[in-house]
Amino acid sequence: MSVLARVFEEHGLVTTTIAMVREHAAKVKPPRALFVPFFFGFALGRPNEPEHQHRVIQAALDLLQAESGPVLEDFPDDSVPTAYPQASQVTAEGESSARDAADEVTALRAFYERWVEQHDGRTAVGLCGIPQRRFRGVVRFLEACARGDADADMAERPESMSRGQFIRYCADDLKAFYYEARMVQQEDADEDALHRWFWGSTAGGKLIADLAATLNDTDDAGLKSIAYGLAR
Amino acid sequence: MPRLETLSQVQRRNLEFFPCLEPETTPWVAPPKPLSESRVALVTSAGVHLRGDQPFTRDDPGGEYTYRVIPSNCNPADVVQSHFSIGFDHTGIYRDLNVTLPVDRMRELAERGTIGSVSDSYYSFMGALRDAGPLVETTGPEVARLLKAEGVEVVFLTPT
Repeated sequence: MSVLARVFEEHGLVTTTIAMVREHAAKVKPPRALFVPFFFGFALGRPNEPEHQHRVIQAALDLLQAESGPVLEDFPDDSVPTAYPQASQVTAEGESSARDAADEVTALRAFYERWVEQHDGRTAVGLCGIPQRRFRGVVRFLEACARGDADADMAERPESMSRGQFIRYCADDLKAFYYEARMVQQEDADEDALHRWFWGSTAGGKLIADLAATLNDTDDAGLKSIAYGLAR
Repeated sequence: MPRLETLSQVQRRNLEFFPCLEPETTPWVAPPKPLSESRVALVTSAGVHLRGDQPFTRDDPGGEYTYRVIPSNCNPADVVQSHFSIGFDHTGIYRDLNVTLPVDRMRELAERGTIGSVSDSYYSFMGALRDAGPLVETTGPEVARLLKAEGVEVVFLTPT
């Protein structure tokens, strides 16, 4: 972001930027940057709290009053950011490996559909191009990939998209499906609880962690890179 | 973001050694008019785009330097994210697009008169690029020209 801010300013635009990594903004020196104390994924603070988000935005816009730069200011610390747990930091419960992820998907479907209804159609699912009602097939495809079947594929994969990238989108869609369903099941679940549930208690989480391990075990640098984005 | 010292060793080292430009100087444009009369655009590095658009991919080994156009009057239901980092918590944007791309907040600022107007188009890039060269040379200037052509004076940039 800081780099783009410099490019835009060089072309005559006035910019103000949210900075997530203070050390990077200090190096890159964008004209105006507001460092925020929130964790990655929460650039403007807490979700569904418009006035809180307006405070953050206003603090960034206030930097436009500076007469010279670079300006790097801190948003007042009113948040204690918490790093969320990655797959490797969650101990899986024994029963998750005994379940079938496809059956889980079927069981979660009603909750997921309620999420979409409650959010006026908004869902993070939609990268792989396969409707969620056919996610049992996506699960079977990812299971084959996790077993190391290098020929596993789906007819829906666009020709222009690599198999590795398609695997990534299928996995991202499956994750989003699980999380959105869970946020209906457990309305008060915080971020930590959601991640611990997914990686520790579901067959879907175990499938994606296994898939990442398999892809990481290949000699293909592209697939290793995909693996790193699936689970750590 | 948390201070670096509070992160896991892997994430801290990734950030400490992330290649950054380290220029000596900073370009500077003074606001040409009050914010309440200015046309404002959002530009994000969150890797978001319209549902029907080509997702950002890692198929290009050199990185992903393209951008997507998102109409400022979009329905948040039509926006998805294909950012390829797992280093951020996706639950924020699952719950509320505005934590990364504050489309509703910008409309409210225009209604309140804090800003003059919002641009017709917002722009989205992929963040976490290890080589910013093509962004600086090609797609960044291209979007700057598009913003200028639309009469934008102020750009608010958001990461994820």
